[in-house]
Amino acid sequence: MKSISLYVDKDTCLTRLHPFAKMFYILAAVSAPLIGGALWIYGLFLAISLCLLISGKIIRKVFPLIAFSFTIIITIFLIHGLFNQENQKVLFHLGPLAFYEEGLLYAARIGLNILNMLLAFATFVLTTKPADLVDDLEQAGFSPRFGYMISSVFQIIPQMMGTMNTIMDAQRSRGMETEGSLFVRAKAFIPLISPVVSSSLINTRERAIALEVRGFDSKNKKTFLREHKLAGKDKTFMLLMALLIAGSIVWRVLTWL
Amino acid sequence: MKNLFKTKLNAACFVLIPACIGINYLGKLFASVLKLPLWLDSIGTCIGGILGGPIIGGICGAANNLIYGFTTGDSITLVYALTSLGIGVAVGIMARLGRMEKLSGAILTACVAGLTAVVISTPLNLIFWGGTTGNIWGDAVFAWSQASGLPVALGSFLDEVLVDVPDKLITLLIVYAIIKGLPKKLTSLYELDDEVASLD
Repeated sequence: MKSISLYVDKDTCLTRLHPFAKMFYILAAVSAPLIGGALWIYGLFLAISLCLLISGKIIRKVFPLIAFSFTIIITIFLIHGLFNQENQKVLFHLGPLAFYEEGLLYAARIGLNILNMLLAFATFVLTTKPADLVDDLEQAGFSPRFGYMISSVFQIIPQMMGTMNTIMDAQRSRGMETEGSLFVRAKAFIPLISPVVSSSLINTRERAIALEVRGFDSKNKKTFLREHKLAGKDKTFMLLMALLIAGSIVWRVLTWL
Repeated sequence: MKNLFKTKLNAACFVLIPACIGINYLGKLFASVLKLPLWLDSIGTCIGGILGGPIIGGICGAANNLIYGFTTGDSITLVYALTSLGIGVAVGIMARLGRMEKLSGAILTACVAGLTAVVISTPLNLIFWGGTTGNIWGDAVFAWSQASGLPVALGSFLDEVLVDVPDKLITLLIVYAIIKGLPKKLTSLYELDDEVASLD
């Protein structure tokens, strides 16, 4: 069964870093440029993310993610470069189209923000196993019920995909068309989705009974097989990120003065 | 009215949430396999809202986007966690008010959910993507509105209305059909006014 998580199983120091430290990095990478407000801060965090990704040996897995976001970034550049309200100065012509400086600058800011968020999340997503994340969250006092909810999503989805393929084959063998004009494709949606949805909802009943029998509603405190605490290097990493956020606040105040 | 936000937080509800998140994922997958120009990624959130009430609907919506954002690297989805939460709560409230019993009520619910989504998404679109939504038809309207000199916020609003309202309409019609077909054995798990009767 194919997992939906992008986690890459590699034993690097990025993988060993505590999930909370990586989450703190996302917080720093997203908030510092917004607080600081200067374009070079985006560049700084892009560089840090790239260094982290290279050190984690997962840089190759990031390219498909970037390629996916490129279509959105290109649309933003086209729309704002051509039609932004504050457009005044023509920067260059491309055939009959005139690109304006103000719109392109605005688009550059949004594009950098998207790329920055994407890379910061990639460092977290590619190096953290969902089960470990849930475990660590529960140890930090997160409700185990919600923990179950998150980890069961990862079990349910591959199961549902299996059901979906079965149903797609079944309906096709009955002569349903899934290719062709928009109307044909739209008509195919309902006979495909409704059996999967009903069957998975009906399955929830059995799952609920199974859980209740195993003491899901029990109020007793749960214990853990493996204790995972914040180590010294996790704390240093988090301190460094806190310094970067503080630095961006100082920069903002200095540019105001 | 008193029961509008009443929620049972038992095992049945906690099993419903992952199932709904899975359904959201499938809806999105089918829409992309069949190359439909819609998202259809809130079918599960709506089912969660109808069966479990507004709170469960909201949790379904928010958890859906948070989980995908943190595990599949889709940080774009993460931004819209608030929108999904709004859709779940809106559909849950409408269902508790008894609107999902009839087809006309389902259409009304769809309009409410669609408008909720628009109101929450428009500011997010403006902050994060400068007004575009990533849907070709909606973005074409946005480009047109910008070219004809309308304010960015209005253009983005039109962009969202054009994409979200039809999307939610189709979503809720599908949900209505599915909910009507569910066995009583299952729906009775989520009914509020059940009481445990004892024989002695």
